[in-house]
Amino acid sequence: MTAPSPGMSASPLALALRMSGIVVLGLMVLFPIYWMIVVALTPTGFGRQITTFLPQTITLDNFVSLFTARPMARWIGNSIIVATLSSALSLVFGVSCGYALSRLRFRGASLLLIAVLATQMMPATSIIVPLYMLFRSWGLLDTMQGMVAGHISLVVPLAIWMSKGFFDSIPRDLEHAARIDGCTHAGAFFFIALPLAAPGLAAIFIYGFVTSWHDFLFSHTLVTSQELWTAANGIASFRGEYFTLQEMQMAAALVFALPVVIVFFIMQRWIVSGALAGAVR
Amino acid sequence: MPSSRRPSRFSRVVLDGPLFPFLMILPALIVLGLVIGLPILEALRLSFDTIALRRPAMAGTYGFHNYLKLFTDPRTYSALWLSCLYMAGTVVGSIILALTAALLTRRVVRFSGLTRLIFLLPWTVPAVVTALVWGVMYDGNFGVINRLIDFIPFIGGHNWLVERQTALASLIVAQVWNEFPMAYVFFLAGLKAIPDELYEAAAIDRANALQQFLFITLPQLRYIMAVIVILVMIMGFKSFPIIYILTGGGPAGATETLTILTYNTAFRSLDFSYAATLGILAVLASILLVLGYLKLLPRSGNEGTT
Repeated sequence: MTAPSPGMSASPLALALRMSGIVVLGLMVLFPIYWMIVVALTPTGFGRQITTFLPQTITLDNFVSLFTARPMARWIGNSIIVATLSSALSLVFGVSCGYALSRLRFRGASLLLIAVLATQMMPATSIIVPLYMLFRSWGLLDTMQGMVAGHISLVVPLAIWMSKGFFDSIPRDLEHAARIDGCTHAGAFFFIALPLAAPGLAAIFIYGFVTSWHDFLFSHTLVTSQELWTAANGIASFRGEYFTLQEMQMAAALVFALPVVIVFFIMQRWIVSGALAGAVR
Repeated sequence: MPSSRRPSRFSRVVLDGPLFPFLMILPALIVLGLVIGLPILEALRLSFDTIALRRPAMAGTYGFHNYLKLFTDPRTYSALWLSCLYMAGTVVGSIILALTAALLTRRVVRFSGLTRLIFLLPWTVPAVVTALVWGVMYDGNFGVINRLIDFIPFIGGHNWLVERQTALASLIVAQVWNEFPMAYVFFLAGLKAIPDELYEAAAIDRANALQQFLFITLPQLRYIMAVIVILVMIMGFKSFPIIYILTGGGPAGATETLTILTYNTAFRSLDFSYAATLGILAVLASILLVLGYLKLLPRSGNEGTT
């Protein structure tokens, strides 16, 4: 392990070692993604016959048949609807709470903060069993509404913590000034803090969207009809159904992962800082 | 900005007064109560009830039998043990991989953005996709891992996800690949916070790279390391899609962690009451982890002042 000192010019040998370390480790880390692309581009049924580490024949047929032979478009549409609704609703429900936790003193505030953190950290499998039973008696199983409600339980705690973090980072001076001018607390929240936090709220929305988009447990459990499946559920089903057809699985996996990867790179800074909010401070 | 010149009573008490904080947290409280609080209460109720497909006539029979089973069933202990192994494996794997990557890239000047992106990329890959990709790579007959392993002497090919000895470790590798970038980000931040003077002083004392690592870098990373250990443990404990999709708890229960056992009890054995009981055990275990985490946060709790 090399931990060279700054201020000293590193020797060319140390630099070469470091660069080769990065290259080797980087190749290892990137290999699964590379392999996903290779298999996805291989003609259906030939994935197991690749003897080199390069694609032998390149085809886009797997991607085409995803959308023609399988309801991939429908599943993606479902995912977009569910993720948009659950993230937007979670933001609406969570943001005022995040503000209160950041700015206001009230009894039970720290307890609430801990409870929210705890809900985020407990296994979702503990929630899904009773939720399934409740939804069964409420007639919410196998409905979009039920799935959105399930995803809200994942995203609301996140929205609360992240919005608290963003409000913490906004200076209070403007709100103080407005309060002195006779603005109410509620007015200061709606007309000053919220607009200032707008970029943060957008980041929270996207983070919530991605959380819902990624979710497998709730979609898999609360919905059974194939036409209501989300994309996560749909592509996971490929492993059981097309166990032998790896190429289709990989094409579906790529289509599913790509939008999130792109969003991540556009919003890299925000997402990383959002994930760190509340963790190290 | 609309400032109310003549504050009404409503505005004084609710929008501006002692009730305002509660008005603000009310929406979140209602929603959390509905989608998390109520299910937890229902889980408690279920755990004393007998809702199981195999005993349909027993519904409404309340008692402690599920808790009795929880403590006597060897599967519970096996699941807890496997969860611990899984957590330990992901912690060790993530820390080694993330720390190595962070040490290698911390002072990269050229292409620093690119090198960091490489190690962040797996984080953006959904767990479901991680499961599918590793499933294809682990393929027993012609999987690419078996072909790569041929380059390494003394390790033969395996049917990684099907053999008892390799299944859990194979899942851990997939989980580490997917989630080590979080630890990487933390380590980069932690390394950045180490004052350069420490290294300069060490260089004057002619400490070599290993000594600098052992006596400066590691001790300085103590706090961030503890945070990472707990966060990675929590993620490992919660892990569901990777295990469920790749092995479903098999072969013969060799990868049946507590979350998988909970799920299988409910949706394969259709014993919802016992599954709820296992779920409560998992919640209690995660509360322990959260408490450990909170102990680490220097200024936890409400910092709000207005």
